[in-house]
Amino acid sequence: MSGAAPSARRLVPGIRPGDLPGAFIVLGMAVLVVLGPSLSPLSATEFDPLHALEPPSLAFPFGTDEFGRDVFSRVLTGARPTLLLAMAAAALGVMLGTVTGLAAGYLRGAADETIMRIMDALMSFPGLILAMLVVVMLGPAPINVIAAIALVFWPRSARLVRSITVDLATREFIEAARSRGESRRFILFRELLPNVLPIIVVDFSLRVTSGILLAASLAYLGIGVTPPTPAWGLMVKDGQQFIEIAPWLVIYPCLAIALASIGTVLLGERLRHRLALPGGGRMR
Amino acid sequence: MNAIGQLAPPVLDVRNLSITYGPLRAVRGVSFSIAPGEALGLIGESGSGKSSVAYAVMRHIKGQATGTVRVDGQDIMTLSEPALARMRGRTAAMVYQDPMSALNPAIKVGEQIAEAIRLHRAADRSTAWTRAVALLERVHLPHPSEIAHRYPHQLSGGQQQRVVIAMALACQPRLLIMDEPTTGLDVTTEAVILELVNELRRETGVAVLFISHNMGVVAQVCDRVGVLYAGQLIEEGTTQQVLRTPRHPYTVALMRAMPAIGGPRRRLAAIPGRLPDLRTPPVGCVFSPRCAIAEATCHDVMPELDAAGHAGSTHHSRCHFQNEIHQRLPPEPLMEEEAVTTAVKGRPRLQMVDLCRSFRGRSALPFLRGPAPVRAVDHVTLDIPAGRTLAVVGESGSGKSTLARCVAGLIVPEAGDIRLEEAVLERLVQRRPRPAQQAVQFVFQNPDAALNPHRTVAEIVGRPMQLYGGLAGRALRRRVIEQLESVKLGERYLDLYPREMSGGEKQRVSIARAFAGHPRLVICDEPTSALDISVQAAILNELLALQRRHGTSYLFISHDLGVVRHVAHHVAIMRQGRIVESGSPAAVFGAPREAYTRALIAAIPTLEPRPQPVSLPT
Repeated sequence: MSGAAPSARRLVPGIRPGDLPGAFIVLGMAVLVVLGPSLSPLSATEFDPLHALEPPSLAFPFGTDEFGRDVFSRVLTGARPTLLLAMAAAALGVMLGTVTGLAAGYLRGAADETIMRIMDALMSFPGLILAMLVVVMLGPAPINVIAAIALVFWPRSARLVRSITVDLATREFIEAARSRGESRRFILFRELLPNVLPIIVVDFSLRVTSGILLAASLAYLGIGVTPPTPAWGLMVKDGQQFIEIAPWLVIYPCLAIALASIGTVLLGERLRHRLALPGGGRMR
Repeated sequence: MNAIGQLAPPVLDVRNLSITYGPLRAVRGVSFSIAPGEALGLIGESGSGKSSVAYAVMRHIKGQATGTVRVDGQDIMTLSEPALARMRGRTAAMVYQDPMSALNPAIKVGEQIAEAIRLHRAADRSTAWTRAVALLERVHLPHPSEIAHRYPHQLSGGQQQRVVIAMALACQPRLLIMDEPTTGLDVTTEAVILELVNELRRETGVAVLFISHNMGVVAQVCDRVGVLYAGQLIEEGTTQQVLRTPRHPYTVALMRAMPAIGGPRRRLAAIPGRLPDLRTPPVGCVFSPRCAIAEATCHDVMPELDAAGHAGSTHHSRCHFQNEIHQRLPPEPLMEEEAVTTAVKGRPRLQMVDLCRSFRGRSALPFLRGPAPVRAVDHVTLDIPAGRTLAVVGESGSGKSTLARCVAGLIVPEAGDIRLEEAVLERLVQRRPRPAQQAVQFVFQNPDAALNPHRTVAEIVGRPMQLYGGLAGRALRRRVIEQLESVKLGERYLDLYPREMSGGEKQRVSIARAFAGHPRLVICDEPTSALDISVQAAILNELLALQRRHGTSYLFISHDLGVVRHVAHHVAIMRQGRIVESGSPAAVFGAPREAYTRALIAAIPTLEPRPQPVSLPT
């Protein structure tokens, strides 16, 4: 049916019940990133040999590790190094991927071939090995870990964005923009980008999750974030050797990783629906 | 109704059919029946519920249907799923609008027909295949045994549709349901398909339920016609009765909205307003909010579907004033022919000189020779005077859209010049100076694809003003509102997104955008072919009015000769990249010189049944 009743553009989107779980988790994570260390009841790094490997109790809600550090405090403090790193890496990777994907998909021809073959070359390395190579080469500073993970994400995002752009670029509104004499930059970022944005948002939310995991894997292999920084991945790695006698060392950081991943994915999915089609209606 | 029809029980008998989709009452109380060998046409615009009715006959709908639908005596509303599956294809078969999506692209067409045969009767592989080939021959496909081995993409659109018809005939059904079977096809192909449908009816006695929005097509095929509006049958009768002497204001308006190829050139009647909201349909006559002759009773009392003229007439209409329609609705005024024919002196607005463009096919493997290049535009030379319309007419693949895109600078021609008044235009639009970009604007065929779904109307229409005029802020907003008002949209559309508008409104926004930069030439590429007839009339009227007001020249691309005759000052017929014939519409349509033009005109489905089949010169 044509002819929906005209309505004003909603500048502030109303929040629906379905948005809440994802939003709450992400909001909680954000609070941890900002206030994590000051919320921790105990120090995340100081040793307390008297309380080593204690199971969860009122004094130590998540138990303690082999050095007697409070796991609860470490999980709270660990949000910042873990999440900031993952977010930054995902943002950088998706941003690079979006720009190259848009350019390749719109320009086609030689530019497309060149860009995408480079992306293919990058993608032919297994992600973890590529990231390892870069961190080993550049040194284990957090900024290098971010660059390494972004490099892994870049070609994957570029492919995704390109595939959508190729289809969009044949639409008549792009022809209309070209016939108007719009610049390439306008067509890429003002005409095409808003249509790709919903997909980018979901891609970003998934990349944050795999960023957490990849950073954790790097930490697990002993490169990237180094002890005593309480990054979640690192905690899982260190706790692993005690898994039979003190499973809480692994369980709680794992739960934190899972919760953060679920939160970003939930929120990303809701955001996609919100951004997909202004004016309501279903995604075609 | 023929003599057999009155004796034999009907093949399809629909009584009081209503269909709802959630709160939406898509079809309300529709009744009709079809006798063996008879063809009934259902005419309606989008949203009329015509396809819902067609699919309900096969019980292929998601909505909730009530009433009775008897196919060959069986009430399909109460049939079990297995019985329904047996009925589908065997008693009643369906032919869809888009043959490409009705055929499986990965299976040979012969195989697909044989599959349909084996599904319904115990036939072994080779018998089924032989029968499939026989069916392909039945629908007059050349070399049927070869065609049977082809895949759908190796066939043309018309051939695909014939395969779909052959598949529908596989089990000798008693009823064929055809949902816009020729809508995507060229007129010449359409004529051949319609002729095939008529022949099949004569020879096999199959009854046909024919759904279409095109009155001419229905007149070629159907004995009786029903007109649907907003889910109600508002008029019914023999084809001649309904289309010659319509008794409902909606039918009258539809007929007057259709640009004809012959006869006096009248203003096209646009139907004001839009379909009523079918969640809360009006209590009175459904058409009353848009009706030119509605009175107080019309808004309060729903008229019955009564016999028109004398009692017991086969012509029924759902209008309180069915016997006074023609007195109450005087014909539309004639167009001023004088304005059309006066010559314009001086340099033409646009000149296309010897334009050429060909497309190279890709070879199957690297280093192998590819197929010969296709000459899409082949030495085309045409002029458009200031304030005039040149229409380029052709069938699909004739190169008319390529020509339009060459002029717009979207496709680079290999040879030839494009001159805009004094200046020679660069071939690529990005290389043209701003004033030249501003001078040539484009209106596209598909209003859904031509507007960025993430931009509001204000942004869409305001963009050319920003780009060319450097307007911003309040001045921009004021100009956008003015521009919207000039295409009969108002301020309330400013913040709407394309999705929130109807097809006609979107096309108006497209036109407003094209005119926003005061262009000297507007290229219209099939601007109305995606729209309903009544909306098409409104858009064509708007384009004509804008041309008169601004003296804009149009390059008008179309496949519809009726539309072209209505808007063009000059017509060029294009075929395989070449201009076959050109001249004034009166000359080209009145006394065509070329055989191809004659065939094209003969193939147009008119209200007169065609005496003989159309043949195409090759």
